[in-house]
Amino acid sequence: MNNTINRLVIVGGGTAGWLTAGVIAAEHSCASNDQQNSFELSLVESPDIATIGVGEGTWPSMRSTLQKMGISETEFFRECSASFKQGTLFSGWQTGAGNDAYTHPFTAPHGYAETNLAPHWQPQRNNINFADAVSPQSSLFSGKLAPKQISTPEYAFQVNYGYHLDAGKFAEFLRKHCVEKLGVVHIKANVTGVNTADNGDIASISTDSHGNVAGDLFIDCSGSRALLLGQHYKIPICDKNDILFNNSALAAQVPYNGDGDPIESCTLSTAQTAGWIWDIGLPTRRGIGHVYSSGHISQERAGDELLSYITATLGAKASAGASLRKVEFSPGHRTKFWHKNCVAIGMSAGFIEPLEASALVLVELSAGMIAEQLPASRAVMDLVAKRFNEKFLYRWDRIIDFLKLHYILTQRKDTDYWRDNCRQESIPDSLQELVTLWRHQSPWHRDSQHVDEMFPSASFQYVLYGMGFHTQPNQTVRRSEQAEQKIAYRLFQENAARTQQLMASMPTNRDLINKVHTYGFQKI
Amino acid sequence: MSNYAVLSKDHHGDLKVITDRGQAYGDNVMHSMTFALEFRDIQSCYPIFFCKDTETGTFYSTALLGLEQDHNLFLSDTGWDATYIPLTVRRQPFLIGFQPAPENGETDKKPVVSIDMDHNRANKESGEQVFESNGEPTQFLQSTINILENIHRGLEHNKGFIAALIKHELLESFKLDITLNDGSKHQLQGFYTIAEEKLHKLDGQTLGELNVDGYLQPMFMAVASFARVRTLIDKKNALLDG
Repeated sequence: MNNTINRLVIVGGGTAGWLTAGVIAAEHSCASNDQQNSFELSLVESPDIATIGVGEGTWPSMRSTLQKMGISETEFFRECSASFKQGTLFSGWQTGAGNDAYTHPFTAPHGYAETNLAPHWQPQRNNINFADAVSPQSSLFSGKLAPKQISTPEYAFQVNYGYHLDAGKFAEFLRKHCVEKLGVVHIKANVTGVNTADNGDIASISTDSHGNVAGDLFIDCSGSRALLLGQHYKIPICDKNDILFNNSALAAQVPYNGDGDPIESCTLSTAQTAGWIWDIGLPTRRGIGHVYSSGHISQERAGDELLSYITATLGAKASAGASLRKVEFSPGHRTKFWHKNCVAIGMSAGFIEPLEASALVLVELSAGMIAEQLPASRAVMDLVAKRFNEKFLYRWDRIIDFLKLHYILTQRKDTDYWRDNCRQESIPDSLQELVTLWRHQSPWHRDSQHVDEMFPSASFQYVLYGMGFHTQPNQTVRRSEQAEQKIAYRLFQENAARTQQLMASMPTNRDLINKVHTYGFQKI
Repeated sequence: MSNYAVLSKDHHGDLKVITDRGQAYGDNVMHSMTFALEFRDIQSCYPIFFCKDTETGTFYSTALLGLEQDHNLFLSDTGWDATYIPLTVRRQPFLIGFQPAPENGETDKKPVVSIDMDHNRANKESGEQVFESNGEPTQFLQSTINILENIHRGLEHNKGFIAALIKHELLESFKLDITLNDGSKHQLQGFYTIAEEKLHKLDGQTLGELNVDGYLQPMFMAVASFARVRTLIDKKNALLDG
């Protein structure tokens, strides 16, 4: 058993499938493009099953993912209704009062590599919020400004950014690029069965119109149906509904009132009585949805809250015209993701509420690890699979901890939903330990156990201090403090100056997107 | 602010244009747009670089006249000290505008000469007469129209030139660190230059195509013009010493 791994079969189109195909084909040149090798990458997509089209927000990591695939950022903007995303504005999460809002920008605090500004900000907490004190980004997106200028080269920036995009258009855009530029073979067929080898591996899959498709490694991107890892291998789901209660969503696509209406350059996340509403601004429309716990609120009430949000932000006409689409999900992930010669990526691996837009980045990371550590032979595949499972189980735990953090710092007591979220038994020990520790020392690089943590300690700072969390000052006089104070003071000054400079020079998000459509970005 | 009007003998019969060079007439600029067809003349005096239009992000070529904003090192109290002055400077305060020409088809536009009436050069007292008393254009206006036509033709040609530079990835950004005689350090940034190494590695067929389109010679002229940076630094040092 030392046969090489050179035939990869992805089952399922959609964003997860095509993004996975693109990431792998960007690294491993395919036979149809290059006669010298025999590496084949096929994607089997059902012509009958519509993609669910979730995940309309990305992390900044998507920039390098697209760039590595050789995609022109200008084309991406034009074809995918893309917009700039600089972070998230959370409203109503702390107290639910009218002025209750904080931000989680993509840019780390100024000077973060060397200096932890959090303890130095704490005495100033009544004068300036944490995010504004340490980064210009929240001011920029509060002003609906862009993170760069038209003269900034593609993928480069003044302040870090990711994207909002139309998931349906994105999958189609990636498909075209994968097939035309990267040599991925597109097979349009329905999977009708799985054919097993003696060792329990998948030897091939049967299809209705394309016969058997054989492969050395099968990647299950079939969505929540999980055709291979779930239905065939029966790998169970590890439920997380005792920690994160949200299991339903109502989604709407709402047009702007006028063509020139501003486009938000952050995701708006507004807390409700038993969930929260996302609001994602694309150039052409807004994607607005309510993700909630069906155990705490009826679908009807959830729909009412969504419609009153739309009325409040876009008017009664927009609300009356909105059609709501229901999505149900069970929060959790598979107990393992890679079994035998089959690995699941996307919703087949797990699904959790999109509070920090973790869906697409997990696809990027999973596909990236497969591309990087593609097993040389079947003999070493189990070792790579073991590492993959350990890494992604750890990542899922970190995502769940980080999402739960958003709920447990609330002062809201207005509904069972918010009270239940703060119940001790719903909080993972790993998270409880961190929060206990952070009452005495603020998050910092020491809290990152791995070099490639999902969420950097800076993200924890933004959420903690945005939600009004207090870290006690040092109990002893530290000799290093005076020198650090000076540096911190300088960093605060620099950030204030940079904020002012950027506020004066950045175009609005809509202006820049219009210019990208008209002129495009230069590559340099 | 600019206030452009279409030039006509009816409205501008008594118009005069000052042709002296000076700060008062908007000549104190760091750089001025040029185009490949002018590079032969430009490179005899100035370094040629590329930069981006801040409104569109698109590249244009430009003649560097100074090392900082709003400072033309060739300009002094006595005028412009160089054997050649860029056409885009000499055209002031005139501009080629375009008017719809429905007689040639719905989307067709015809070039017309416009003038910035708020420009300090435009007045009624001194300078070159634009129209003769009988309404005929003067020799001065004839030569100005000639300049405008050259610019128009040059900019059209330059679109293909810039596109070729981008297609073959022949532009690269650069920073120039300058230390002056008084020890002060300056950095020139935001400009792009021709990637000489890549230019030398182009294959014969590509070079042939560039040559046919008239793009090859200006590329080498732009490369050679880099030596004129020394002229700018010397002029800057002379100002310090003087």
